[in-house]
Amino acid sequence: MNPSSRTRCVLVCAAFIGLFSIFSFRLIYLQAIKHDEYAGLAAETHVYKQVIHAERGIILDANKEVLAHNVPVETVVADATLLSDVHATVNLLNAELEIPSQELTEKLSSGRRYIVIKRELPAARANALREKLHAGKLRGIYFEHDATRIYPNGSMLCHVIGFTDFDHHGIQGVEASMEEYLHGQDGFRFIEHNRAGQEIVPYRGQERDPRDGYQVHLTVDLGLQSIVEDEIDAAMKEYSPQKATIILMRPQTGEILAIANRPNFDLNLRSEAKPEQMKNRAIIDMMEPGSTFKIVAAASALNERKLRLDSQLFCENGLWNYGGSPLHDHRAFGYLSVRDILIKSSNIGAAKLALSIGDQKFYEYIRRFGFGERTGIELPGEINGVIRPPQTWSKISITRIPMGHEVGVTPLQMTTAMATIANGGKLVTPRIVKSVTASDGKIISAVSPVVLRQVISPETAKQIGEALRGVVSDQGTAAAAAVPGFTIAGKTGTAQKVNPHGGYDHGKYVVSFLGYLPADHPEFVGLVVLDDAHTSKPELNYGGLVAGPIFSHVAEKAARYLDLEPHEEIRKAIPVQRVEKPKPAERVRKVPAERIALTDGSRR
Amino acid sequence: MNRSRRRNCNTVNAASLARWIVMTVFLALAGLAYVYLTLQLYHLGERRKAVENELALLRTQNDVAAGQIAALTSRTTLQRRLKEGYLKMIPVSESKIVRLTVPARPTDEEAIQPVVNPLAQHESK
Repeated sequence: MNPSSRTRCVLVCAAFIGLFSIFSFRLIYLQAIKHDEYAGLAAETHVYKQVIHAERGIILDANKEVLAHNVPVETVVADATLLSDVHATVNLLNAELEIPSQELTEKLSSGRRYIVIKRELPAARANALREKLHAGKLRGIYFEHDATRIYPNGSMLCHVIGFTDFDHHGIQGVEASMEEYLHGQDGFRFIEHNRAGQEIVPYRGQERDPRDGYQVHLTVDLGLQSIVEDEIDAAMKEYSPQKATIILMRPQTGEILAIANRPNFDLNLRSEAKPEQMKNRAIIDMMEPGSTFKIVAAASALNERKLRLDSQLFCENGLWNYGGSPLHDHRAFGYLSVRDILIKSSNIGAAKLALSIGDQKFYEYIRRFGFGERTGIELPGEINGVIRPPQTWSKISITRIPMGHEVGVTPLQMTTAMATIANGGKLVTPRIVKSVTASDGKIISAVSPVVLRQVISPETAKQIGEALRGVVSDQGTAAAAAVPGFTIAGKTGTAQKVNPHGGYDHGKYVVSFLGYLPADHPEFVGLVVLDDAHTSKPELNYGGLVAGPIFSHVAEKAARYLDLEPHEEIRKAIPVQRVEKPKPAERVRKVPAERIALTDGSRR
Repeated sequence: MNRSRRRNCNTVNAASLARWIVMTVFLALAGLAYVYLTLQLYHLGERRKAVENELALLRTQNDVAAGQIAALTSRTTLQRRLKEGYLKMIPVSESKIVRLTVPARPTDEEAIQPVVNPLAQHESK
């Protein structure tokens, strides 16, 4: 090779080396130095973070009956940058989803990459639309898996279960209070699309599986709930009260077995419900409890050993002027024992019970029974109630509070107070959640009974229980609350209705009955409250005559449902008692006559 | 001439040639394998996607069916059907229940006895 040829050869080689060096440097520049910038740009254009929605946990009753579950639906979304034929797409969506064409055109012409077209489309309709889009070769429309919340029992237990909002966040009831457990954790996946909008599976990036929400088991037994719902509906039909509440609670553990309020609403049609229908009146409604509050005065006096159950108190023959204001009884009573004060429901007697221990001690007992503070049940929006401290009491407050005036309590607080008597003096936190489990049955959290304090001694509780048995007897104010074959302890309440603008509404009453069954070994405590019930005669609007029979119906059916053993000796004793003691038997016969007048034949 | 041609003729190094051929074949096979495996990867990706879709569809169908079962077996629905007479059920009367435990007898004859509520008793029958 001559020198000139060699030079040419070297030049060509150098040119190639230079050229490839430039390519190499450019490659290094793009791949290494500008890597992050271009990778970001590429990701922005092609990589999507696909959210994998976690399924919300279901809610079950104590027997694992489903109260709230999910049904799969699809959300139709569009990527306006990938639409192949806007006009055809609009026409198809208009026909299939019944959305106005103008609205669709505005949305799809926006140029946005994530446009929600329709939510909660049933899976079958979504599949049909998907096929039509595929057949028409229309691109840019996607389907996201979603779920909608369904409540199979409609309005039953509506105030307890609650509901979720648009984004599946609980906003009322257990749905809200147990949100942390029910919600679960969404997963995600980074994916890349090709030009046709299809995922390129090998290019999948980081991925995290979703964790479905946990199952929440309630203490409520739908069998009992159904009984309560039937009875509260019957009461609404019969007495047309403004509001009504029935609660059943297991006194030893604080478990709520059933709870119903009226007015109510259908959880599946919640958008049509009025705010008044959505209130869980058992925990957010404040009422003057009336005579049911006398159990607090009696328990306080007995527990302080100021009096015994058979101690006699003079009840002023029905009218007592105290502090410059008259206090009446519904009948003129002379001397009554503490037991009879409860059985006959003497206001003057109850006032004297409170006076025997004084303002401060009485207030302490009211607070120890749990009034004036939230019970702690796992439901949102519970109120404290109103219990004023003794410093703000008037001179007559000590005589009015024992009969359930000048205090504001919730129905649940009253039920809890009676449960304290029923379970030997222990104040137990009421609870609605039994446990939280994973879908495979693994227990995540189990709620145990919480005993807050020993309010009164077991002996005092027993004494009060004995007195309360007399209330549901031929001598008491609630003979109509009796259940054949069972001993019941209970207390009636009839309070004039408080006017929100001050004072009381004339002729309007909040009637209630609070009791437990069987009296010896209580299986449940029950409360029936009717606000402004309408009776055939105004003088029949008493707790014992209106709420008592409702309690009887509920308790009888509940006892049968729980398979409680009836006290057969009592059933046998009645005819004997009628023969040997004709006078009480006459009174016994009078009770159904009054009830028949009350029911007016409309009750089942 | 023949001597000269024979002198200028290059010899082929068979071992080297073989090495090159092997390397070329290896590179070619590697390239083909790469292409094949890449295609397989895409193919498997498509299959994976199809299986995932099928699984999602089955899950959806299962959830829809579970929802229908929950709705049909809900207490409200069953009670409605009972009232309609679709379900024939008769409540067990008290007289048909045999109890094995003996009820406790009240010790005190003077103790307050609960009264019978005849209306409720009538309804329980």
